[in-house]
Amino acid sequence: MNLTLAQGIVKASALLGAGLCMGMGALGPGVGEGFVAGKACEGIARSPENASLITRTMLVGQAVSESTGIYSLVIALLLIFST
Amino acid sequence: MAFSVEHIQIAAYLGAGICVGIGAVTTGIGSGIIAGEGAYGIVKQPKANEQIFRTMLIGQAAAQTAGIFALVISMLLIYGRSDAPEGGWFRAAAYLAAGLAMGLGSVGPSLGAGYSGGQACKSVARMPKHGNAIMGNMLIGQALSQTSAIFALVVAFLLMYSIPNQPADISMGRIIVKSVALIASGLSIGFGTLGPGTGIGYVAGKASDMMGRFPNEKSKIMRTMFLGAAVSESTAIYSLVVSFLLIFAL
Repeated sequence: MNLTLAQGIVKASALLGAGLCMGMGALGPGVGEGFVAGKACEGIARSPENASLITRTMLVGQAVSESTGIYSLVIALLLIFST
Repeated sequence: MAFSVEHIQIAAYLGAGICVGIGAVTTGIGSGIIAGEGAYGIVKQPKANEQIFRTMLIGQAAAQTAGIFALVISMLLIYGRSDAPEGGWFRAAAYLAAGLAMGLGSVGPSLGAGYSGGQACKSVARMPKHGNAIMGNMLIGQALSQTSAIFALVVAFLLMYSIPNQPADISMGRIIVKSVALIASGLSIGFGTLGPGTGIGYVAGKASDMMGRFPNEKSKIMRTMFLGAAVSESTAIYSLVVSFLLIFAL
């Protein structure tokens, strides 16, 4: 398929947007989930008898902070495949 | 715009500079954090100076890994065959993107490895008796945080060596789409490794720190560290998927 210059620029901008969206979007969840897991390590070391409770809280918290990463993935895939 | 071989050279040299320039920033910061904590640890626990010094050196070596990846990519960009015109705009874009991917990609992992090495030195100074267990945990944690730097390295190699040549009868619009897709794939994995690398480094640092305070809970701490690091890694994997799609699906 061949594109005109204007169509090419539109598609190229969408792709650049997709790359930036996923790249920047992965930044927050990565740091946030790491912080959760670090604090969970600290909590489990301090009160090992509550290990299962702390692990559960850690996983739920990480799942919630993962959501923005998944939004970025969805937007990036939309920008790649439906423009 | 007419294509000439200088465009590939411009992209390759620019990519090489960006790669090692950005990549060196946090490699230096990370090694500095480790050295600082090591020196402070020796002040607090002068008897354990050999053990702290060893932990510091090993930690710094592991924290430099991503910087070395960046150096390798920039050497390959400088001394690669950037004086041959085949590949056209695609190859120029891919060289620039490889530099961006590895340069940005080494920022997070180096910072994370630096933090975890620093905490490990502090922890060894607190509990020299368990120094070997702490150093083992530090190395595992740093390896986990360097995983995302390895994703960036893989993408950079793919960009440098697996880009198809530009077909002769291709419209300008198509050229722009493919070239921008390659640059976007570099940006995606470059920025995408920043968060997970730093986050996993924080997990590993906290785990080493707690192993020095509560050495009896070693197995529970390590299990939580692995679980937490695996979940944090997921966004780096999304970025890797998006950059593979941008390289190969367009």
